[in-house]
Amino acid sequence: MKQAIVELHNLSKIYQQGEVQVKAVDNVSLTIAKGDFAALCGPSGSGKTSILNLIGGLDTATSGQVWLEGIDLESMGNTQLAEVRKNRIGFVFQSYNLIPVMTAFENAAFVLDLQGIAKQEIQQRVMQTLAQVGLTGLEHRRPDEMSGGQQQRVAIARAIVTEPAIVLADEPTANVDSHTAESLLDLMQTLNQQQGITFLFSTHDQHVIDRARRIIQVQDGQVVSDEIRP
Amino acid sequence: MNIITLAARNVYRNGHRSVVTAAAMAFACAMMIVFASLIEGFVKGSEQNIVAMNSGDIQIHRPGYRDDPDIYSLMIDSADLCNRIRQAGFATSERIFAFGLLASGQSSSGVQLRGLDLDFEPTVTLLNRQVMLGDWLDKTDHHGVVIGKKLARLLDVSLGDELVFVGQTADGYMANDTFYVRGIMRTVSSAIDNAGVLMSKSMLRELIALPEGAHELVVMRTDSMMNLELASQKIKALIRSDLEILNWRQLMPIISRFIETAHVQTLIMMLFTYIAVASVVLNAMLMSVFERIHEFGIMKAIGVRPWQIVRLVYAETFIMTIVASVIGALLGSGITWYLQNHGIDMSSLAEGISFSGIALDPVWYASLSSESVLTPVIFLFVIAAIAVIYPAIKVAVIHPVDAVHHH
Repeated sequence: MKQAIVELHNLSKIYQQGEVQVKAVDNVSLTIAKGDFAALCGPSGSGKTSILNLIGGLDTATSGQVWLEGIDLESMGNTQLAEVRKNRIGFVFQSYNLIPVMTAFENAAFVLDLQGIAKQEIQQRVMQTLAQVGLTGLEHRRPDEMSGGQQQRVAIARAIVTEPAIVLADEPTANVDSHTAESLLDLMQTLNQQQGITFLFSTHDQHVIDRARRIIQVQDGQVVSDEIRP
Repeated sequence: MNIITLAARNVYRNGHRSVVTAAAMAFACAMMIVFASLIEGFVKGSEQNIVAMNSGDIQIHRPGYRDDPDIYSLMIDSADLCNRIRQAGFATSERIFAFGLLASGQSSSGVQLRGLDLDFEPTVTLLNRQVMLGDWLDKTDHHGVVIGKKLARLLDVSLGDELVFVGQTADGYMANDTFYVRGIMRTVSSAIDNAGVLMSKSMLRELIALPEGAHELVVMRTDSMMNLELASQKIKALIRSDLEILNWRQLMPIISRFIETAHVQTLIMMLFTYIAVASVVLNAMLMSVFERIHEFGIMKAIGVRPWQIVRLVYAETFIMTIVASVIGALLGSGITWYLQNHGIDMSSLAEGISFSGIALDPVWYASLSSESVLTPVIFLFVIAAIAVIYPAIKVAVIHPVDAVHHH
């Protein structure tokens, strides 16, 4: 049996929109195992991004628990959550979300810098990771000097360079063409297969769904199916 | 990447806004340096006019003489007092006064004759350098007097013209004599300007039959670093306890209080000016922060702590403030340097500017000092730091999920 990286126990998230209460996540229990290449699928507003935000410690649950590598995120304060995000979680966002004043190298090195890792080691790890994502020679380019696909590769490099427990990718292929989407998925699949990096996607892109080895269907805030492909 | 480099790039990223904000700060800083230097110059000029042109540091009189300047209210042992004061390391000079009527042609005016010790007066005041027309007094010239500018105009006299004095001697007889105008003073005080007739002490002694004593002793510190209060204490210890010893701050309390509060006035003015600057900084930083909410959200998502976000926002503000303060200090110092050497000529606005009876130089000079430069610069940093509290905290406490999904 694979080691559990993330465990959700009866997780609920209710948003107050004026007078109305919206149940974005409704009593979800789920386990993500080490090495998973899983996708939370469902239509817009189904609650998949909310689940991703709760796993990533970006948001707090109304009830229930989120365990990451055996640590209860719901019992943590903002500073502790920031530490967990910095050290144990990698994020890939829909709109690349690189820091515009930093080069590809600096974006990827930023979190390592926050972790207080020595400059020499940062240099070595970042260059190695940029090579893995196919960006050798582009390290000194700023985001506005790169294509969407290249920017998303930098975002992936930033997410994996810290060797996190899990990479949470929110619609990572939504802003790129299908050819680029395929190449990004090739990259993430390779990283998953060769290095055992755990990926959890939130998506309704068929390219991602086709590649995922585990499909978790979300509807109205609830997990309606959880299919593991051979 | 360290926080300063990141902040510098963020400042550079929106160059136009950063330039406008820094320019507003630099301009305010420069103006406040000029203002503070002008006030400093005014204070120094006023102090110089009071001390060097009028009162000296300390004056000694018989009690009540200042309220009722009676010819008999003399310090008979004034020569002995002067010797003791000089031996203690101070400069001092005797003065005697008399009142009467001065006439020339059809014009006449009440005047105050001021008998000065021509040997020692230059050691306590700079009156001898304030002759506008003609020459200063000379011991060998027994009829030449120097009169105030307005008195000269009132009597319609110019250099060399004859003056007739009528008054009273100390022994009760009529004092009268003729003099001629040897020199005309520029404005140093309203008393000298309107009614001052300056002559040698020996001439006046002879005129009013006052062989010894003095109405006033003027004392100056030879060590300018010596505290004025301490100097007063030392003089008190040297002389009789029945005499009145007052330093210039006690002699002219209104001006003294004005000078003491001038720095407070500068600070208040600075505060009001900088409140306007603070609103510019606040506005610029609010815009800068709110348009980057999403970016800060990403930073928070990848592990940047709220306190590090606050440091980043502060670093951006301080970079602009450093640039602004350097430009402001250079600009302000440059303008002040010019005004220190050339001044602002106010004579076209008013012929004679005086304050509480003390004439002020019609050319207003600035005084450049480290204090007049550093105070506005430090104030600028404090105001910028206060102005940026709100945007920094606002972005530091924003929930990461709200920031990440903010567009």
